[in-house]
Amino acid sequence: MKLRDPCLSSEGAEVILATSSDEKYPPENIIDGNSETFWTTTGMFPQEFIISFHKCIRFSKLTILCYLVQTIRIEKSLSMDPVDFEKCVEKDLHYSEGELQTEEFSFPDCQATYLRFIIKSGFDHFVSVHRVMVDGMAEDM
Amino acid sequence: MAKLAAKCLMAGDPAVGKSALAQMFCNDGSHFQKNYTLTTGVEMLVKNVAIPETNSIVELFIFDSAGKELFSEVLEKLWEHPNVLCVVYDVTSEQSFNNCAKWLEKLRAQALGINLPGVLVGNKTDLIGRRVVEQKQAQEWAQNHGLEYCETSVKEMENFEAPFHILANSFHRLYQEKRGETAKQK
Ligand SMILES: Nc1nc2c(ncn2[C@@H]2O[C@H](COP(=O)(O)OP(=O)(O)OP(=O)(O)O)[C@@H](O)[C@H]2O)c(=O)[nH]1
Ligand SMILES: [Mg+2]
Repeated sequence: MKLRDPCLSSEGAEVILATSSDEKYPPENIIDGNSETFWTTTGMFPQEFIISFHKCIRFSKLTILCYLVQTIRIEKSLSMDPVDFEKCVEKDLHYSEGELQTEEFSFPDCQATYLRFIIKSGFDHFVSVHRVMVDGMAEDM
Repeated sequence: MAKLAAKCLMAGDPAVGKSALAQMFCNDGSHFQKNYTLTTGVEMLVKNVAIPETNSIVELFIFDSAGKELFSEVLEKLWEHPNVLCVVYDVTSEQSFNNCAKWLEKLRAQALGINLPGVLVGNKTDLIGRRVVEQKQAQEWAQNHGLEYCETSVKEMENFEAPFHILANSFHRLYQEKRGETAKQK
């Protein structure tokens, strides 16, 4: 069976919440499959966004492409609604001037209908998220 | 259109007029508190500032803190991750001016390595006969420390919006610069 990235708007994913808004850098940029477009935070931390898959997905690896993010926490929910989030991981990232951070997280066998990303702090006033990629597939419902 | 959010830390010696300034700004000049009530801990006030010639808004979260050093660890935590700074002194008090260096250092230590726009405010310019700190001297000091400068009389409702407009505009400018840089990252 061929694995597809379910974390794409073309696969039905949607960003249902983002705490910062600048219409030039909308949160949809996180799931458009293009790492040159991004969502930006516009000030005070913490900041967060929630991705809905609108179905249950099973995955083992998650990759986030971002810039100037210092501490990030990722949570998942298996509910029908974006509630009851459980922590997957929390990590301090490295500072890399002049290039995007590529951070891979492995999970043995994870299921989720929603993923929530909380950016607790940054290396600067503003940080950006360029892509979230998931290695996994939709569960047969 | 963008909506920005900036945490603004205010600091300075006791009774220089930090709370008067923050409150006057946030209630649009409708009330001047004549009686002195010292701030204990930190009070937060919020106000939106529209950036001229854009559709953007900067929401300022003003953290008005106590000049009397009653700092506890809990209060220190409230100072984390600032975006902009406002240091206030009283133009009739040499000591309050001399202490600005100490306040500035304390504020900047909250965000090492991050460029924090800041403003130095000389308040109580209505007390003309009692003035001891000259504008030129303060302006130079501000410049040498990378701060903008302005003078206010909260009592006479003079110029009380200027410090916050300066900060909101600097923060917005910084945002635009940084967005330009991010768009170049690969
Ligand atoms: N003449 C004059 N008095 C002022 C002015 N601004 C504030 N005051 C008075 O100065 C006193 C102290 O003002 P506050 O705003 O409480 O001072 P503060 O800096 O917040 O003091 P702390 O909370 O103790 O750090 C009050 O009695 C105010 O009415 C001003 O522009 N001119
Ligand atoms: Mg006060």
